[in-house]
Amino acid sequence: MLFATGAVGVLLRRNPLVVFMCIELMLNAGNLALLTFSRVHRNMEGQVFALIVIAVAASEVVVGLALMVAVYKSGRPMDIDEMSEMRG
Amino acid sequence: MSFFFALVFLLSATSALGVVVSRRPLYAALSLVVNMLSLALLFLVLSAQFLAAAQVIVYAGAVMVLFVFVIALLNPTRQDSPVRDPRQIAAAVLVGSGLVVAAGVAFVGEGRSASFSLPDTLPGGVQLGSIQAMGSALYGDFTFPFEATALVLVVAAVGAVYLSRGR
Repeated sequence: MLFATGAVGVLLRRNPLVVFMCIELMLNAGNLALLTFSRVHRNMEGQVFALIVIAVAASEVVVGLALMVAVYKSGRPMDIDEMSEMRG
Repeated sequence: MSFFFALVFLLSATSALGVVVSRRPLYAALSLVVNMLSLALLFLVLSAQFLAAAQVIVYAGAVMVLFVFVIALLNPTRQDSPVRDPRQIAAAVLVGSGLVVAAGVAFVGEGRSASFSLPDTLPGGVQLGSIQAMGSALYGDFTFPFEATALVLVVAAVGAVYLSRGR
């Protein structure tokens, strides 16, 4: 459910920061599913996976936000539809 | 107990909607913080105590702070106009409802197993999700992913420094 909400948000919003936040929502939803299955099977693997997902998501946010700031400082179309060409 | 669970579930669903729907990115960020805190509560219910603490510290404490800083840097009062193209809206509705249907099928088809009532202790006596279990898993079976994650973090930090050099 969380995943579906985040996915709709990624597709419908134009501000790239909000799109990033919806991606974080989807990652958190995946974590929740991982932990649920870890609890059901009484196994630590799901929790370790979820911890690594948190770490990877944090580093992805760092790189993505640095990219956003660089885009903002160069030109200024803070809009997903206009940023669709990677240049520079 | 299940009343508490329903309450937390409602909180997280509402704040998730808030992230997607809010016009101003700052409101969406605050909504996401509420969502992450409610997820930390759900992690506690699922006996993942270490991960609940890690979620609060790392996600709600560091990642969202970073988000709020960047939003504040990049014009926080800017209103976001939603997408006008009807084909894109139709595609998004299709994807969203497809995912919800898939989740529903998975939920119903699996059957409501009562596995949540089993005790949450691993063989060996430690409690599932405690620091001891997490530590012995990370340093025992999962040493390689642990070290690889450290490498990922270093690469991300280097990348961020490079991207923010400003030419």
